[in-house]
Amino acid sequence: MLASRFIGKLRQFQNWFALFAGLFLTAGLYMGLVASPPDYYQGEIVRIMYIHVPFAQGAMVAYTALFGGSLWYLWKRDAVVDNMCQASAGIGILFTTVALITGSIWAKPTWNVWWTWDPRLVSFAVLLLILIGYLMLRSFLDDPGKKARYSAVLAIVGFVDLPIVHYSVEWWRTLHQPLSISTRGISIAANMLYPLISMSIGLYLLFAYMLMVRTQMLYLQQLLEAKQGRLLSDIH
Amino acid sequence: MRFFKVIQWIVWKDLISEIRNRENLSSMLFFALSVILIFSFSFSMDQRSTKELMPGIIWVAFGFTGIIGLGKSFLPEVQNDCIEYLQISPVSRGAIYLGKFAGNVLFLFAAEIILFPLFILFFNLDILDKLPVFLLIFFVATVGLSALGTLFSALTVQIRAREVMFPILLLPLAVPIFIGAVESTRGALNGDPLALYSHWVKLLGIFDIVFIVVSFWVFEFILDE
Repeated sequence: MLASRFIGKLRQFQNWFALFAGLFLTAGLYMGLVASPPDYYQGEIVRIMYIHVPFAQGAMVAYTALFGGSLWYLWKRDAVVDNMCQASAGIGILFTTVALITGSIWAKPTWNVWWTWDPRLVSFAVLLLILIGYLMLRSFLDDPGKKARYSAVLAIVGFVDLPIVHYSVEWWRTLHQPLSISTRGISIAANMLYPLISMSIGLYLLFAYMLMVRTQMLYLQQLLEAKQGRLLSDIH
Repeated sequence: MRFFKVIQWIVWKDLISEIRNRENLSSMLFFALSVILIFSFSFSMDQRSTKELMPGIIWVAFGFTGIIGLGKSFLPEVQNDCIEYLQISPVSRGAIYLGKFAGNVLFLFAAEIILFPLFILFFNLDILDKLPVFLLIFFVATVGLSALGTLFSALTVQIRAREVMFPILLLPLAVPIFIGAVESTRGALNGDPLALYSHWVKLLGIFDIVFIVVSFWVFEFILDE
C-alpha cells in the first residue's frame, strides 16, 4: 500500500515537524504580537489576525486533506487513509472553531457585532456543521468498511462548500474583507506579511504533526479493538 | 438505452407504490399545511412584512416538507430487503440513483404545486401573472434539494438514528440551495424583472449540476457491498 508506506516514511520525521512548527509559531507570535506595528485603522486589534487567518487557512487545509484522503480511500481502500480522514476531520473541527471564535472577537470591535450573516461567515459555519456531521455519521456506523465508505462519500459531497468559503468574499462584496494575497498581487505591508507567513507555515507544520500523531492513535485503537475482539472470540 | 429503461422503471415503481399507499405525499402535505398554519398564526402580516418574510416562510415550509419526503425515499427498499435486490441487480448504480432522484423531484415538486395556492390564499399574495417564474424557481431548487436528499437518504437509511442523521447531513449542504431559492423567490415576489435576480437562478442551476454529477458518481459506493 503506497499511502501507508508514505505515512510510515513521514513518521520518521514526525518530531522534526513538531520542532519546526514550534519555531515558526514562536517567531510568528513574537513578530506579530511584539515586533510588528499596530494597524493604521484598526490599531492593536489587528494582532488577532495573526491567529485568526492561519487557523482559518488550517481549517481549509484540513478539509482539503479530508477530501483528498476520501478520494484516495474510495480508489484504493486503504484503511490507514480512512484513519487519516477521521483524524483530519477532528483537527478540522478544532481549527474551524478557533477561527470562528477569534473571528467573532475580531468582529466585535471592528464591525460592532459578534456575528453577521455575511457569505464568508455563513459558508465557514457550514464547514463546521459538515465536519461535525461527518464525525457523527462515523459514530453511528459499526461496520468498519461501511463507515469508511459512507463517510468518504459525505466528505466528497461536502467539498462543494470549500470553493464557496474561498471565493465568497470575491463573489459577494460584503463586510468581510477580500483576499489580501491572491493572483492580483499582495496588498499587505511587509512587516505584517512576515509574521503572518511565519504563523501560517507554523500552523501547517503543526497540522501535519497533529495529523500524523492522531492517525497513528486511531490506527492503534483499531488494532487494539481487533485484538480485543479476537480475545473475546477465544473465550466464547 | 437500457440505462434510461432502468430510470424509467424505478420512477414507475415508486409512482405506483405511492399511488397505492399514498403514504409519502400525504404526510408531506399534512406537515406542510400545519407549517403554513403555524406561520400564519405566528406573524401578524401586513403587506410590507409579507413581502419581507414570505420567501423565507415558503422555503422553510418546502424545506421541511422535503426532509419528511426525501428522508423516507429509501425506507421502503429497506423494509423487505429490496435494497439487496437493487445491489445484486446487474444495472448501473447511477441509473438507480437517477431513477430514485427523478421520483423524488416528482413528489416534491407535486407537493409544492399543491401547496403554493394555499400560500397565495392564506397570505393574500398577488402574483398570478408571475406564476411561470415561480414554477421555474421551485423546479430548479427542488432538483438541487432532491439530488442531495436522495443521496443522503440512501446514506442514512441503513444506519442507527437515521431520522436524526438525515437532516443533520442534508441541511448544511443544502444551505446554498436555500439561499438561492429564497433570494430568487424574494425577487419574484417583489415583482422585479427576471434579469435582476436571474444570477440566483443560475447559481441554483450550477448547484443542481454539481450535486447531480457528484451524487451520481459517489452513489456507486453507497450501494456497493
